[in-house]
Amino acid sequence: MSHPHSHSIYLSEAPVRRPQAMGNSLLRKIQRACRMSLAEPDLGLNLDIADYINEKQGAAPRDAAITLAKLINNRESHVAIFALSLLDVLVKNCGYPFHLQISRKEFLNELVKRFPGHPPLRYSKIQRLILTAIEEWYQTICKHSSYKNDMAYIRDMHRLLKYKGYAFPKISDSDLAVLKPSNQLKTASEIQKEQEVAQAAKLEELIRRGKPEDLREANKLMKIMAGFKEDNAVQAKQAISNELNKLKRKADLLNEMLESNDLQNWDNETTQELQGSLRSAQPKFQKIIEEEQEDDTLVQDILKFNDTVNQLLEKFNLLKSGESNAASQIHPSHVSAPLQQSSGALTNEINLIDFNDLDDVPSQGNNTNAAGTSAEVETFANDLLGDLTDLSISNTPSGNQTAFGLGGDIVLGSSQPAPPVTTTINSNNNLDLLGLSSPQPTTNNQSLNSKEFDILAGFSTTPSTVATPSNFARTLVNESSNLRIEFEIIRESDSVLRIKTFFTNLTSSPISNLVFLLAVPKSMALKLQPQSGSFMAAGAKDGITQEGIIENALINSSKSLKVKWKATYSVNSTPADETAVFTLPNV
Amino acid sequence: MGNSISKALGRLFGSKEMKILMLGLDKAGKTTILYKLKLNKIKTATPTVGFNVETVNYKNVKFNMWDVGGQQRLRPLWRHYFPATTALIFVIDSSDRDRMKEAKEELYSIIGEKEMEKVVLLVWANKQDLKDAMKPQEVSNFLELEQNLKNQPWCVIGSNALSGQGLVEGLSWISNSADAPKK
Repeated sequence: MSHPHSHSIYLSEAPVRRPQAMGNSLLRKIQRACRMSLAEPDLGLNLDIADYINEKQGAAPRDAAITLAKLINNRESHVAIFALSLLDVLVKNCGYPFHLQISRKEFLNELVKRFPGHPPLRYSKIQRLILTAIEEWYQTICKHSSYKNDMAYIRDMHRLLKYKGYAFPKISDSDLAVLKPSNQLKTASEIQKEQEVAQAAKLEELIRRGKPEDLREANKLMKIMAGFKEDNAVQAKQAISNELNKLKRKADLLNEMLESNDLQNWDNETTQELQGSLRSAQPKFQKIIEEEQEDDTLVQDILKFNDTVNQLLEKFNLLKSGESNAASQIHPSHVSAPLQQSSGALTNEINLIDFNDLDDVPSQGNNTNAAGTSAEVETFANDLLGDLTDLSISNTPSGNQTAFGLGGDIVLGSSQPAPPVTTTINSNNNLDLLGLSSPQPTTNNQSLNSKEFDILAGFSTTPSTVATPSNFARTLVNESSNLRIEFEIIRESDSVLRIKTFFTNLTSSPISNLVFLLAVPKSMALKLQPQSGSFMAAGAKDGITQEGIIENALINSSKSLKVKWKATYSVNSTPADETAVFTLPNV
Repeated sequence: MGNSISKALGRLFGSKEMKILMLGLDKAGKTTILYKLKLNKIKTATPTVGFNVETVNYKNVKFNMWDVGGQQRLRPLWRHYFPATTALIFVIDSSDRDRMKEAKEELYSIIGEKEMEKVVLLVWANKQDLKDAMKPQEVSNFLELEQNLKNQPWCVIGSNALSGQGLVEGLSWISNSADAPKK
């Protein structure tokens, strides 16, 4: 029984319209991108089409794929080439929904429609492009996509062509890289969004195919999509956790590689890649923390991890700029290990050297600990290097005393108290930025010592070694009117030298804030113990001592070993510094 | 009238096929209608989580009827079933006055979609056997289709899935109102 209203409509003159298969504007755009009059592929338009498809979704990826397959078989090779170029752009920019379409059997069959059963002697340009495309997909989305099971027909087509005798061109790594999964850390909402897009594309494709098995799968998929949003959220969280663990393993691996003292091998593709993926993950940390605020464990975990990443990146940068010794001071924790693990042994290590410039040191730690560490390292390095080389950490022109004074900005800019020993003694101005002319507060150093990341202990003035009278001969390193510096050099083994430094105050005033820095050639490693102190009473003989180990100082080396040293101190409230290169006697 | 011509053409060229999308709130009776049409049996339907699809032949028309679950959390997924739809059947539980407004909102959100703005719309004012059911006229007034739908054919038909009342009329109206998509 029809409702009366229906009759009025039933009889109406309103035109009965068919549902439109698709917005014609997509077709028009594609045709425009492949028109013969083009001189070359219109990349802008191609990308525009990719955006359009991403925005429309629904039938758009499918319609585009079908249209392109037809255009690729156009008799005009120009048109076909443009179509292949657009296809490439869409594969690379439209993600799974489009990949699903190019892995349809019908599409692939259409794509190779003009391939003869036996490979020709010479491939046409179009054939070559098609083979390239299939090989590229085969090497990338068929292997790495999270949905690679949906790409089975591409594999089949690849196999089939190969079986028929077609040869695939080699694809350059850079081309492959574009389609490899970014493997990036994503936030839960990003993961879910991606899932939703992919699932929606799949559901629509299954509905379109409509075969009983497709419909069964569609029903299953729909249940996942609908009822179980929570599942998706749980999955997203799991995905974050997995990705974080992967990153942590990468961090540990990079750490090990940088740690390995194998100076020839630290810079290679692997380390580059590792540091690249860590670097690119960092912006996500912030976002994840924002999204997952309530998950305290996760937030803490990420914060801690971020500190480690900061250190690793800094270390990497130091190595990159040749600061291998400076870099070796940084000992990022192994992420999987408990944090307390590696304290102690590292706290007293200090290697300083390589007077290259030292810019772009990342120091943006979220955590006070890491921020403090990197800031302090910068400060220290700056003090040492300031007058030795062009040095700009804050990107200010440097190389002169004024610029060196600017180095203090780093101290001020960083919210951390700089280590007391890094006073700008030699800057010859009355700026004692740190206001430290008194004996060092040892509590500070002690607390630092207990921390794993403490790389400053080496500068500590806490007496940690007792100056003992030595029976070994001393070598005079330098004697100024204020300060005498002597080395006692002992060969511990064929490759290890132990050096003990003695400082004597030659003035009739106390010397304070003494900081002694030592640098060895890159091929060697230097481990300095903390100075016994930084204050010497007037005329104090051997008032301060410091021990250090030089590794890899081979006994039979043809070259004599040169070290660069630098001492800064205050006497009569006047800052002073001394520096020189010293050639060690053969031991 | 145009419709009789297309009908004649449809007869002339054999059967036509159309995709019918059947939507509506949960418990409106979509699945019961589907199996009444398909099997002429009353299947006790549990809430559909997902969808059912059956082919129903009526006269020369092959109706591919998609019955998609109407629970709240399934509704966002309805849109994935829109492509290539010839006719939308919106099923309403005429006795559920409390949710009439909700039903109306869902209906308008469907036909507000670009893909659906041209489809033929049939509303089945279902459960006419229940004594406090709104009459088709009431349902129609409530939905305000006359005011709002200018460019697409629509119709409200009272139905009772248990007896089958109104079902054949509905399909008949659809086959007369809609053109099969050109192949």
